[in-house]
Amino acid sequence: MTRRRSANHAAASAVQHSAFSTRHLQTGTQHSPLCTPSEHRLSRRKLLGGAAVAGAAAVGGSLGLVDMLAAAESGAIKKKHKQVLFVWIDGGMSQYESWDPKPNTKFGGPFRAIPTSVPGIHVSELLPHSAKQMHHLSLVRGMCTKDNAHSSGVGRIQRGDPKNRGVVYPFFGSAVANFLGQGPSGLPPYVLIKPGSGGFLYQDAGFLGPKYGALAFGDGKPPENLLRSERVTTADDDLRNDLRRRANARFALSHRAEPVEAMDFVYDTARELMKRGDLFDEANFTAKDRERYGAGEFGRHMLLGRKMLEAGVTFVKVTSYGWDTHGDNFNGHANIMPKFDRAFAAIVEDLAERGMLDDVLVICLSEFGRTPRINGHVGRDHYPEAWSLVTTGTGIRRGITVGKTNELGTYVSGDEYDIGHLFHTWFAALGINSKGVEYDNHGQPLPLAHDDCFPIQELLA
Amino acid sequence: MLATPCRLLGWFVCACVALGASSSLLQAADAEPLTKRIDRLIDAKYSGPRAAQADDAELVRRTYLDLVGRVPTVAEVREYLNDKAGDKRTKLVDRLLASPEHPRRMAEAFHAMLMERRGEHEEWTKFLTTAFEKNMPWDELARHLVDPRDDDEALRGAAFFAVNRLSKVGQQETDYPGLTRDIGRLLLGKDLACAQCHNHLFIDDYKQVDFQGLYTVFLNTAIRTDEKFPAVGENLMTKPIEFMSVFEKKPLATGPRVPGLKEIAIPAFAKGEEYLTPPDRKTKQMGVPKFSPLQELARQITSRDNRAFRENIANRMWWLAMGRGLVDPLDQMHAANPSSHTELLTLLADEMLARKYDLRGSLRELVLTDVYARGSAWDAKNGGRPEPATYATAVAKPLSAEQMYHSYLAASGPHGENAHDAKALRERFTKAFANPPKEPEIEFAPSVKAALFLSNDDEVLRLTVRHEGNLVDRLTAIDKEKGADAAAEELYLAVLARKPTTDETAEVAELVKKYKDNRPQLFGQLAWALLSSTEFCLNH
Repeated sequence: MTRRRSANHAAASAVQHSAFSTRHLQTGTQHSPLCTPSEHRLSRRKLLGGAAVAGAAAVGGSLGLVDMLAAAESGAIKKKHKQVLFVWIDGGMSQYESWDPKPNTKFGGPFRAIPTSVPGIHVSELLPHSAKQMHHLSLVRGMCTKDNAHSSGVGRIQRGDPKNRGVVYPFFGSAVANFLGQGPSGLPPYVLIKPGSGGFLYQDAGFLGPKYGALAFGDGKPPENLLRSERVTTADDDLRNDLRRRANARFALSHRAEPVEAMDFVYDTARELMKRGDLFDEANFTAKDRERYGAGEFGRHMLLGRKMLEAGVTFVKVTSYGWDTHGDNFNGHANIMPKFDRAFAAIVEDLAERGMLDDVLVICLSEFGRTPRINGHVGRDHYPEAWSLVTTGTGIRRGITVGKTNELGTYVSGDEYDIGHLFHTWFAALGINSKGVEYDNHGQPLPLAHDDCFPIQELLA
Repeated sequence: MLATPCRLLGWFVCACVALGASSSLLQAADAEPLTKRIDRLIDAKYSGPRAAQADDAELVRRTYLDLVGRVPTVAEVREYLNDKAGDKRTKLVDRLLASPEHPRRMAEAFHAMLMERRGEHEEWTKFLTTAFEKNMPWDELARHLVDPRDDDEALRGAAFFAVNRLSKVGQQETDYPGLTRDIGRLLLGKDLACAQCHNHLFIDDYKQVDFQGLYTVFLNTAIRTDEKFPAVGENLMTKPIEFMSVFEKKPLATGPRVPGLKEIAIPAFAKGEEYLTPPDRKTKQMGVPKFSPLQELARQITSRDNRAFRENIANRMWWLAMGRGLVDPLDQMHAANPSSHTELLTLLADEMLARKYDLRGSLRELVLTDVYARGSAWDAKNGGRPEPATYATAVAKPLSAEQMYHSYLAASGPHGENAHDAKALRERFTKAFANPPKEPEIEFAPSVKAALFLSNDDEVLRLTVRHEGNLVDRLTAIDKEKGADAAAEELYLAVLARKPTTDETAEVAELVKKYKDNRPQLFGQLAWALLSSTEFCLNH
């Protein structure tokens, strides 16, 4: 059953662009069909039964499941400050040329698969460095999502594709910033290192409000006006900000507190950031690190990402562009993948070496994978039906693969995972009980992630 | 300025024309001023506790910000506080509406509303400024947006509204759907984006044909390349647009059509007779077809048959004055999202039509209501703060980038003509405080970027360094001559348009004592702190 439906998807995607309206139709009429395959319903029922036996009876059906899953967690949020490294591969990395190679098959392309540090797990030969870190990593090869357009897919994946409740959900970064806050560093909780221009991307925050948006460092450069003017001494800066705070406190006595809180928050954050101008100074990067991460844009950005994590930033997102290989997919990946591989392997190695993987959740994904079919321009098109992502770090089991695709890589065989499952899993890994906690959007209760999805147990440590 | 009776008479004439003789008789019998009718409808909806009316200081600041886009100077605040005349509020409003700063404020507010920070163009600025200088009626202004003319140097910049949206930027394709959507959002209060490919899934009123009827008109346009100024041309339209829902594969078609109105017939011309000026293949100049769908659409959108047009502008003017739309969000006008005050929106929309879309006149009415003059402070002793939609307290409005710029200069100045590069500084304020492109500026959205700007930008910091005649210079002199209390008063009047409280005066006095060696420096810090405060950044 599953097999036939997925095969149809593969066929539909072979004529990617003309198939757009068809997909739209499917996703619009059947509400989230991929989230409730029969296998899932079965395993869900099993879990529910288990929960009832375990005695979590006071709560209703779906919450029974919650309690059982939450039993492994110590309350809503664990004590030690958790962090996230979120590597966003914009445009769609090819699963064939990365985490789920299918050498010597119809759609496999020219690259070989190589063994990794985990016996039995193979990845593309374009990932030699990451292969050596495989014991630190987990591959999810059973991704099956619902949007094959960049414009909507980028947001949809990063917002976790929840059920539509007429609100704009936060990106994962904003959600984490909301739950985990700044932590002891006082630095902005959600930063983004990206090529091009920087700025403050408050749209990421959706209904959580601008405060949880991303502070973007364009090309890894510090934000404008970071350095304190020579006109102002440290003492001056302390005095003027103390006076500003006092004025705000007086105003808040008889006016809405939210604007005042938001203003104080951005000023406090700005001041903490001003103290850490050194983070952006590339002269502080060691020659060895520069060599290991790669001298290119992505390498520099990932290295800055590590510095940000070391400085205590809660959520660090690093974006890489240029992965939309509709034409010349293989040369494209041969060119861009080594840059990714070097930097990604280096940061995983460094986090592991420093013991930081115990507290840092690492996520690396695109908005979708790429088609099995190789098009007339020797390219691969957008393919949400069967793709891979990689994750590791706090709360995540390491050195495993979860889910798998069939021999040709055209569809997922066995359990399909939507992004909603991964959101539940990642929340759980951070110690946030996504089935028990809800957002409060001005009185409207909203689940953290898709209601019909659940954490992937085999991925949780 | 017209005297009030004349003004009233003028409206009645309009009302008679608009509503016919019988209803004008009704109106004459019920000669309650509009401001009172507005207040009555607001009061009828809510009877719980509400904030005290704003005091003179709060009201004068609010009025200046809304009508001329900046905080009042110390002299202007004092003048108002000291004025004992009973009609001083009306006089203030009329004086501000007549000042040259008013068209500037309106041009800035409508620039932010209509372009949503997509970009600026001097021709566009000229259009808006000209329009608001002569108080161009909104229906005429809207017709320029839809169907810009190229023969009036002062007004042709209206084409930038479309040209900017139709320009290719990087990988972004010509955004015909975006232009269609914005015409719906900004002129009709309806966001039809989701109805491009099917009837809206959640909003029953928004049909695919509504989107397509507008879309076909804009799809038929292109940016003209034969002129240096922004200009759009039209291709020949010969048949309706064909479309189908992605859910229901049934072929449909529509000609140009305003949502809710009759389809505009596409006339047929004999071969060779279609154009006023035929296109020139050699010079690639677009032709001028005899049938202009843009012109027809502009006429129909603004016609009296189109209720959505006047409700939209009534709602947007209300939002501009009161900080919250009667229909909220502004571009979600439909049956399932009614006005918080239904009768009031109807009244305001009808008045818009009756007064021939006189924006200045309608703003004047709104700012003279009691509801506009509600206090923003709330005493917790009265329980929880009432919901914004009750208008039981004033709704605080964020200062726009332009209001920040003008206010920062007004409060910290005066600065000499050549004290700074005004254009460059203004651009920096815009960069720091404006929303990203395509984000309507509705919510208060403080940012780290703006905090860093006010904290560290050298040009900004120079404004609170002592130089002849500016605030810090005056504070230093006043302190020397009259003492710290007088300096505190000058400081608070200049920045926050109110007198300091006892505590605030004491705080200044204490600091003055402590920093006796470098008072100009201290006053700079004090001014900076208040200029960076939440109270300053809000129009409360």
